[in-house]
Amino acid sequence: MEMAKAIEIIGLNKMYSNGRGISNLNLEVDEGDIFGFLGPNGAGKTTAMKIMVGLMRPDSGEVRIFGKSVQHEFVDAMRYIGCIIETAESYPYLTAEDNLKLFARYYDDVDQARIDECLEITGLIRYKREKARRFSLGMKQRLGVAAALLSRPKLLILDEPLNGLDVEGMLDMRRLIKRLNEESGTTFFISSHLIHDVELTCTRVGIIYAGQLVNVEYTRNILANYASLENYFISEVDRSGRI
Amino acid sequence: MAGFKAAFVNEMVKLLKKKKLIAAAILSVLGVLIGQAAVTAFQAGFGLRIAGSTEFPLLVLPVFTYTILPLFTTFVAIDMFNGEWNAGTMKLTLTRPVSRFGVFCAKVGNIAAFILVNLLFIMLVSLIAGFIFNPGSSGIVGILRVLLAYLVTFVPIFVFALLVVLLCNVIRSGLAVFFLSVLVFVGFIAIGLLYSRFSSFLFTSQLSWYTLWISDSINPFKLLRQTMLLSGCGLMLFTAGYYLFDRRDL
Repeated sequence: MEMAKAIEIIGLNKMYSNGRGISNLNLEVDEGDIFGFLGPNGAGKTTAMKIMVGLMRPDSGEVRIFGKSVQHEFVDAMRYIGCIIETAESYPYLTAEDNLKLFARYYDDVDQARIDECLEITGLIRYKREKARRFSLGMKQRLGVAAALLSRPKLLILDEPLNGLDVEGMLDMRRLIKRLNEESGTTFFISSHLIHDVELTCTRVGIIYAGQLVNVEYTRNILANYASLENYFISEVDRSGRI
Repeated sequence: MAGFKAAFVNEMVKLLKKKKLIAAAILSVLGVLIGQAAVTAFQAGFGLRIAGSTEFPLLVLPVFTYTILPLFTTFVAIDMFNGEWNAGTMKLTLTRPVSRFGVFCAKVGNIAAFILVNLLFIMLVSLIAGFIFNPGSSGIVGILRVLLAYLVTFVPIFVFALLVVLLCNVIRSGLAVFFLSVLVFVGFIAIGLLYSRFSSFLFTSQLSWYTLWISDSINPFKLLRQTMLLSGCGLMLFTAGYYLFDRRDL
């Protein structure tokens, strides 16, 4: 039997009244990929990611996560996913630990030890009894990552995961992504505008422009033909802009 | 309804952590005490007997059902829906393995629990106040009547809460929902008074339907009709609210 893809996006359409949106998006991500999702502002990155986690309904099309349809088998599909969409939010009136305790209730196998482990991984263990209201942007981002990791998901969907992180935080984040990918085989789907970081982290890159996927390629193939991912990105966006 | 239990517990934790319940409780106690003080002063001043020990809770009940209780219920509902939409925390729940129906039921269930706990709390405090200030004639039947009156009052208040939930899912601004809810509440009461022919169709006129339940001669058909009307109203509001909640794009 053929193994289900980590992500299958099939004929996805979503149009806003302002004429922007995504049209006929098709994409497959294999298990174990670190997939970088690149595109200029307003290209439809966040829209696609919101549909992937069921926050938004597509006009047509479907997203399958390890074979489970987000649109029709939402609960089953979401068991595989951990995500941060747009901004890493938390309940400001709860402590870091209490925030994670809320999310832990949705999973059978997440206990206090796992909560502490996630706080440890993200460097928040010292602040676990502090209310999230007092957290800096970077600390909120870390808490968001801890919440996404909590259930040991097979797929992590991260929208701009480096937002608000300092240099050390960025390095930590990059290391964490690599480590989870290598040790647990976690698949990643990451959108970022920090193209250099995508080059260093992602094994595959997809470029979205004006709501359409213009190209998907392995990072090592890109770097064999272009000096950097930035050059590739600019040439792809340029080419699509001209068409 | 996978994940409902977790969502329900989480909503309760959030509600309790926000100290709204405590504020409601304190205000309720203050309300009861002020009411009691007024009654005692009145009795002392005019030598009249207004309320006995188990009559006092029934004196307090309409005051609460027309003022503090719907007000707090509105606050809680707005906070659960508009508050979370606007703070961006709704997506934290919606991206977990729980259906939107589960989330909606968890929220509505907590609003129901909030109303019920508030009613029972007010009942207890007013019973105690009644016994302290007007000790005297009262029996188990009197207490049961009080309990019944408070329990059935839950129904119209809950229907009102479902209306607020519907408004929360129609309008984005919490402030607008609040004013509209107050307007509808007052407006329905006014319509019920002005056009009494229609009043039985408005749930606001059922806020005092407990009098039907505890009257000496119970009219089962009238009770059945009002129960049907209220539950029909509630079902429609619940369905409409859920429909909008389920369709909403973040």
